[in-house]
Amino acid sequence: MANDPREKTEEPGRDLRSERDEVLQRFTRGSSFARELLQDYEALEQRLRSLEGENAKLRATIEADHAVRDLLKKIETLELEKAELVSRFNRVEALQSNVSSRMTEAEHEFSNLANLFVASTQLSSSLSPRAVTRRIKEILAQLVGAEAYAMYLVNADGTELVPIASEGVPGGKLGPVRVAGSELGEAFASGEARVNEETNSNHGSPDRPAAVLPLQIDERFVGVIAIFSTLAQKPRFSTVDFELFRLLGRQAAVALVGAGLFMRAEHKLPGLEAFLDLSV
Amino acid sequence: MAEYSCLVVEDSPMMRQLLVFALSRVKSLRVTEADDGVDALRKLASARYDIIVTDINMPIMDGLKLVKRVRSDPVHKETPIVIITTEGSQEDRQRALQLGANAYITKPIQAPQVISTVKELLRIE
Repeated sequence: MANDPREKTEEPGRDLRSERDEVLQRFTRGSSFARELLQDYEALEQRLRSLEGENAKLRATIEADHAVRDLLKKIETLELEKAELVSRFNRVEALQSNVSSRMTEAEHEFSNLANLFVASTQLSSSLSPRAVTRRIKEILAQLVGAEAYAMYLVNADGTELVPIASEGVPGGKLGPVRVAGSELGEAFASGEARVNEETNSNHGSPDRPAAVLPLQIDERFVGVIAIFSTLAQKPRFSTVDFELFRLLGRQAAVALVGAGLFMRAEHKLPGLEAFLDLSV
Repeated sequence: MAEYSCLVVEDSPMMRQLLVFALSRVKSLRVTEADDGVDALRKLASARYDIIVTDINMPIMDGLKLVKRVRSDPVHKETPIVIITTEGSQEDRQRALQLGANAYITKPIQAPQVISTVKELLRIE
């Protein structure tokens, strides 16, 4: 059996072809693999970009959260500062209101003291019985607001109070009053001022005086001032009125008796010898 | 600080003293005294006053006549006038205000009331 030469020659050709095919197949697989790799790479790159984007977003969110937290902290601090300021403001306001009310109180005190000062100055600035009486009446009318009133001095035997000056009382209604058994007499005898607190002072009358003030020289009582009623706009006595009552009780009779003695001495001032041996 | 001048018209030396005492507490106020309406007119003729505080019951010329005269005086016709009186009735108040008084205070006076009335009319803080 003879061998076909073409067979011999075709054998290596076939090998080469198969080898080529194999190489081609490998190449094709390699190429396909490379494409797949490229695709994977692209996908991964895209994924990376997407993750980077997400990361950036998350970072921004975290930064925003920090900013919000900072702002919240600031708000909290500011709230505390505000509360502190409000509390300080309230304290200052309370202090101011306190100062203001004390100022008003001081102004009233000043006004009362001015009334007492003026009354005292007026009482001691004349040695004429008429002028002293006029000033006592002025104090009663202008400072106390008395509408009807009278001043009484006790008689020599101490049994009757005799009116020496009056205002707003009908003449017939005014006469000596017995010390015993009368409201005026009781105030005189006890040496204590009496104020009718049952009715308004502007509703008093000669029978039911609003106030009776004993007049005193040292420890001796010499008469009374009776305030029968006050002006319509003055329904009750105030603190300063009671101070004025005390002042009148202590100074009115002294001024009146002093002026009377001076008149009796025919307005002659006592000589220096009268003051030399006072042993003070 | 602006300075204001006030004329106090009162026949009673005691009340005058008290009013001057009270009004002198207003720092920017210079106080001048007059014994009655005639004395007040004399003083108003020689100087300009920013406010007048006057009693009603006075001899020679009372407070209401003074208000009338002041309101016809070209220099002082706009000057605020405060009336002080013992009369407390609404009618008396109306009468004084109709004649041209700007405010009305009844006796017995309270210094803080006089001060606040004067300050209010002069618009002093």
